[in-house]
Amino acid sequence: MSHRTVVLSFPRTTVDQPLISTMVRRFNVEVSIIQAHITPDEAGRMVTHFSCEEEEMEQALDFLRQSGVEVNLPLKNLVRHEQLCVHCGACVGQCRSRAFSVDPVTAEVVFDHTRCIACELCIPACGFGVLESIHDRLAEEG
Amino acid sequence: MAKSYDEINERIRQSEAVVVTAEEMIDIVEDRGAEQAAEEVDVVTTGTFGMMCSSGVLINTGHTTPRMKIQRAWLNDVPAYGGLAAVDIYLGATELPLSDPLNKVYPGEFRYGGAHVIEALVRGEDVVLRAEGYGTDCYPRREIETLINLRDLPSATLLNPRNAYQNYNVAVNGSRSRPIHTYLGILRPKLANAGYSSAGQLSPLLNDPLYRTIGIGTRIFLGGGVGYVSFAGTQHDPTGERTPGGVPKGGAGTLAVMGDLKGMSADYLRGVSMTGYGATLAVGIGVPIPILDAEMARFTAVRDRDIYAPVIDYGGAYSENTGEVLATVSYDQLRSGTITVQGKEVRTASLSSYSKARAIAGELKGWIQRGEFLLSRPAEPLPGVDSAPGCGLLQVRAPNGKGKLRGLHGPR
Repeated sequence: MSHRTVVLSFPRTTVDQPLISTMVRRFNVEVSIIQAHITPDEAGRMVTHFSCEEEEMEQALDFLRQSGVEVNLPLKNLVRHEQLCVHCGACVGQCRSRAFSVDPVTAEVVFDHTRCIACELCIPACGFGVLESIHDRLAEEG
Repeated sequence: MAKSYDEINERIRQSEAVVVTAEEMIDIVEDRGAEQAAEEVDVVTTGTFGMMCSSGVLINTGHTTPRMKIQRAWLNDVPAYGGLAAVDIYLGATELPLSDPLNKVYPGEFRYGGAHVIEALVRGEDVVLRAEGYGTDCYPRREIETLINLRDLPSATLLNPRNAYQNYNVAVNGSRSRPIHTYLGILRPKLANAGYSSAGQLSPLLNDPLYRTIGIGTRIFLGGGVGYVSFAGTQHDPTGERTPGGVPKGGAGTLAVMGDLKGMSADYLRGVSMTGYGATLAVGIGVPIPILDAEMARFTAVRDRDIYAPVIDYGGAYSENTGEVLATVSYDQLRSGTITVQGKEVRTASLSSYSKARAIAGELKGWIQRGEFLLSRPAEPLPGVDSAPGCGLLQVRAPNGKGKLRGLHGPR
């Protein structure tokens, strides 16, 4: 089984096509939609998790690319500007997937990006500007 | 055997003082007992780093030509108080630009406030000073707009009326409907999470619970530089319930502190934006505690499991001042990541940084070991457990026409 965080950018021309459901049926992919900003007649963006067999993962991603969807495979679901972090723990209290935790030895906040489901509840909880949405970052970078 | 401040300072001068942090002291007292620990250890260093809203900087800008009496002032568009002598202004940490939308679009972001200006000054950045005066014969100038920089200011003094709270509430949200945005973080409904803010066993006033050594004039680590306890802080209230070891079971003592901003560092003074609440300053404070005798050794060996805090519903009881306490929990439990409140497992999060507190205690320890920082004996103790309560409710009384301007001679 292969698991990936996939950020999909839908140009205007693709918004009205049932691409995700077609892909799910054709390639047997389990899709968890974590965030979606899609409006008819406008571009859209989705943050998702894909789970399926390795071979089908590649085929599914190729299908989306060929359908005009921009596929981003970020290593992380969240941008963490670590140099700004004071290691308080405000993010830890918001994080239900336990991606954030406090190291019991160093008392520092550690982030396990593989557990992050990009719910983004931590972002407004951080008063030091450490956390940034991957969605915002990708949008900013075009 | 009792030790004096003079003896301890002489050992510091000779670089012979034995200095340990409050964390290290726990094991020393456990291994050797308080009597022996008091023989061996001269100073225990403490630390805390958290949001301390009652903070600000008193700036003297230097005089202009022609001279000006500043009545109203803004630093990077954040209003500063000018109701002082000619070019003295005070910038509070929680002050916000007039253009800030506040909580009109809830929850507000409070991206920039007085605290962020203080951080910018400490970082050595230029800051825009805009000021107005009404003009007098001796101070004719009426306005100014200029860049200022900390290095050029005649003086900039961090002047914080209430810092370093001795213990504090644990906040939860007992409402059933919506998240609330507090100074103890974003709290989800139905007791989903809890916020707390104390360095616990490292915290200054929890290591000297009866204020035997921390008093007016105590020299401290403040914001990365040197500062002083200038008075009891506002709301200093030593009268609450305590454990048999003397540790208050809720918010109690506070410190008013001052220090030269020029010696401070942005590692230990940071502007903070609390969503839905406001801007505030995260302040790092470390207080050295002289181990005068075995009692001080025992006090400084306090550990998280012996320190308790009240769990309060910030979705109701807190704002309505009902005094209701949902549970009492130890800092040991809080640091474990979950506490139990009304039979429910609640995730906890610290809003103050324990790792920074540890770094501060370590840095102060280094200063003292190298003979760079001497201890000062307080000029006066802080109000003790037998004093009057320092925190209370305001009795609201209708003005009934009082408070009108009457001038020097009263009603005519």
